[in-house]
This record gives sequence, C-alpha cells and structure tokens, in this order.
Amino acid sequence: MKQQTVCHVNDMQPGELRETELGRISVVVCKTPDGEFYAFTNKCIHQGGPLSKGKLCGAPQSDNPGEYTFCQDGEILRCPWHGREFNVKDDGRMLANPKHKLPSFPVKIEDDYVIVYK
Amino acid sequence: MNNNNPSSKKRIIDVDIHESVTYKDLFKYLENPYRRYIEDANWIQEKHMPYTQPSVAGVNRADAVVPDGRPAGSDLPFMQEQLLDDIGHEYGILTGALDPSPSSMHGWYEMATALASAYNDWQIENWLEKDERLYGSVHINAEDRDGAIREIERVGSHPKMVQILLPIDDKMWGDPYYHPIYEAAQKHDLMIGMHHNEPPVYFGKWPRYFIEWHSLLPTSHMMQVTNMIFNGVFEKFPNLKLMMIEGGFTFVPHLMWKLDQQYNDLRHEVPWIKRKPSEIMKEHVRFCTQPSEELNKKDFLSVIDQMGSDEMICFATDYPHWDFDSPHRSLPSLDPDLKKKIFSENARAFYPKLK
Ligand code: FES
Repeated sequence: MKQQTVCHVNDMQPGELRETELGRISVVVCKTPDGEFYAFTNKCIHQGGPLSKGKLCGAPQSDNPGEYTFCQDGEILRCPWHGREFNVKDDGRMLANPKHKLPSFPVKIEDDYVIVYK
Repeated sequence: MNNNNPSSKKRIIDVDIHESVTYKDLFKYLENPYRRYIEDANWIQEKHMPYTQPSVAGVNRADAVVPDGRPAGSDLPFMQEQLLDDIGHEYGILTGALDPSPSSMHGWYEMATALASAYNDWQIENWLEKDERLYGSVHINAEDRDGAIREIERVGSHPKMVQILLPIDDKMWGDPYYHPIYEAAQKHDLMIGMHHNEPPVYFGKWPRYFIEWHSLLPTSHMMQVTNMIFNGVFEKFPNLKLMMIEGGFTFVPHLMWKLDQQYNDLRHEVPWIKRKPSEIMKEHVRFCTQPSEELNKKDFLSVIDQMGSDEMICFATDYPHWDFDSPHRSLPSLDPDLKKKIFSENARAFYPKLK
C-alpha cells in the first residue's frame, strides 16, 4: 500500500485544493467547508487538465429557466480547463453526467495529519 | 502534464495560439497622440460580451496565468514551457487575443489603424522573431480599407506573417468591399484567417447565454464560407485560401451537401461559379479541429469520410483559452497517416510560408 502524508489538517483552509504525489500519480486533495478531506486523481477525465489548478466552488442549481440557487459551496471541484464540475461529496461524480466520475483515493487523518493512500 | 518524453511528442502545427498584449506593452510601438490617449485616460477597448465568463478563470485556462500574475498568453518563456516545449510543437500560428481588436472598433478609424500597426510590430518583435516556431497573423482595421492595405503592404511580406485576420462585422466576406484586401493578401502569400470576433454574428447581437453563443460559432463560419464562395472570391483570387479557426469541423459535410444542392438548383444566379461549391471548399478552405466534440474513432472517421477528403482539417489547441484542446486527448486515436495530416501536413500544405 502506497501512502503519502499531505499536511497537517490545519494547513489547508476549507475550500482549498492541494496537489500531492502518490508514487508517480498526481493527486488533488480537497478540503470542504465542513473540514472533511477528499482526494482524486489530478488529471481531469476529460482531457487531462490539472484539477489542482481549478477551484473548489459551488454549483448553481435550478428547476426553472432563469432562476438560480447556489448550492454546495466549496464542494464542487471545477476543472481549470473546460470547467467541468465534479461533486467531491458524491464520489467525484460529474454534475452534467453522473455516469462519469473522477477516480478517487481514500484519505485518513492520523495524529492530525492528512494521509492519502492507495 | 509533463510530456517532455520525446516518444510522447507528436509533430504538431498548431494553427490557433493566442498571444496577448497588455496595453502598456503596446506603447513602445504606438505613436502619439494615440499612445497619450490610452495612457492619459486608461483606455481599454470596450467589450460587449454580456456574459460572465465561462470557466474558473474567465476565458482562459486557470493554469495558464503567468506565474508572476500577468495574463495568460502574455509571456513567451511561459508559453514555451507550458505549450511549445511541453507538447513539442513544430510550429504555432498566433491569432491574437482580440484585445485590442482594431478590426472591431467602430469609428475612430485612424486610432484603430494605428493600433493594428502597433500590434503587428509588437507581435513581430516579441514573438515571431524570438521563437522560430512561431508564425503570425496580420492585424488590420478592415473598416479603413486603405489603411488596411497600407498595413498589409508594410508587414505582409514578413516571412513569418502567414495570414490576415478579418472581422465578422456588418459586411460579409464575399462583399466586393473586401476584394482589394484579398488582392493585397494574394500578393504577399497571405491566407485569410477567420477567428470569431466581435460582434460575433452577422446580426451583431448575442443570444441570452454564453452556452448558446459558443454552441453556435459554426453558424458564423457557415455564413462566411457560403458568402465567399457564391460571391466568387475564389474564382477571382485563385491563390487565396481561407482558414476557419475555432468553429470545429463536424458541420462541414452538411455545408458541402447543402451548397452543392443549392448550386444545382440556383446556378443561374451566380453564373461565375464554375465548379461545385464542395470542390471549391476542398481546394480553398480549411477548418480547425478545435473546439472538438467528443467523437469516438468511428464517428470521427465517418465525418472525414462524409467530407470526401482527409485534407480539410488542421489541428488547433486554442491555447491558453478555456476550451483548449489537448493534442493528446481531444481526438480519438487515428491511423498514423491520417494523424500526420491532421496534426501537421494539412496546415503545412495550406500556408505557403510554412516550410
Ligand atoms: S480537461 Fe477538465 S474539463 Fe476538460
């Protein structure tokens, strides 16, 4: 089992992204506003954009044309290239097409350190 | 994104790269009073796009901002690192970032013409003469036709200027107004490049949402190609060619069928056209892969098959824009011959100044 210590839990702010290496794999670590950590492959499944250069943001939602509500602030990982939205709270599923999701990695907190492993 | 491993490199001629200038960097190339007008009033060209921008960093890839904070596309070493060296470009053709966009300034023609000259000088000195892989586009103020022709005469024979960018404006490109510009283009072996510009559509208006506008880019391409063909531009200027940038290519078979059928029915209105429009397109018009739909190999090959030619599309990244197409991931895997044509040989055959 490969593992990588990323940082102290307090080193990352809610809504922050950080890049780390797991062996030769580049991984993006996300800290959501509720203080949870998630880790995904750092290569977007579309054309390979580096997700750690994107944003952890929210997602506009609506059931009626012309109306918006803004949800899940800090829980949506948006790619820096074509802007595809992945829900980190839903296993990295893509909002526009939930059939697709980002490969994810388990995250453990040990002695207040964030560790990703595979 | 480290593709420095030579085995992962493709031979690429990228026909759409956006270099961008800060107004401050243009000053050196701009005469007064124009420079003073900008400097004293902090002028920037008014933009009309009524949308918030599409992606997490406006119209650019978020990772393309220069590390010191300058705008994406404004720094040659960073572009070399992130694009030209990383991907292993053989050549790249610069198409500007539409700001300033002298061609789409309405009125104040003398200012727009001066801006176009400054832009061209800046482009030559800072990009074309600093990286042998880079080729450029002549920016003109098409609304001042005489000024535009003077500018083409001034910089068009530069060995690294390969095309002239025209605006999408209230005159379509077949209009006789543009013909003297085409004559000057032919004289200097310059092709015409179409990159969607402001205003974005013939009608000068915008749909309600960015997603509509971006989905409809090919319609403006269809209009200009149709207009140029039926107005006989390619009969009158047999060496002139047209590169349609950033409209994709999957609409091309439809356009070929449509124009051929219309020609069969309505030839009497345009008797100067002697060949099937699809033949004219095959000879004179090239289209870019970008922005590419997600096609599997079968669908991709079927579009090529429907075009009846594998020489009509050229590869473009559109770096550093948000809808950048990765040479490694945007197209399905293709047979080596076809790949070579799309990634480099079609563009090489198209632009006479590319060796
Ligand atoms: S590479 Fe991420 S959205 Fe295209």
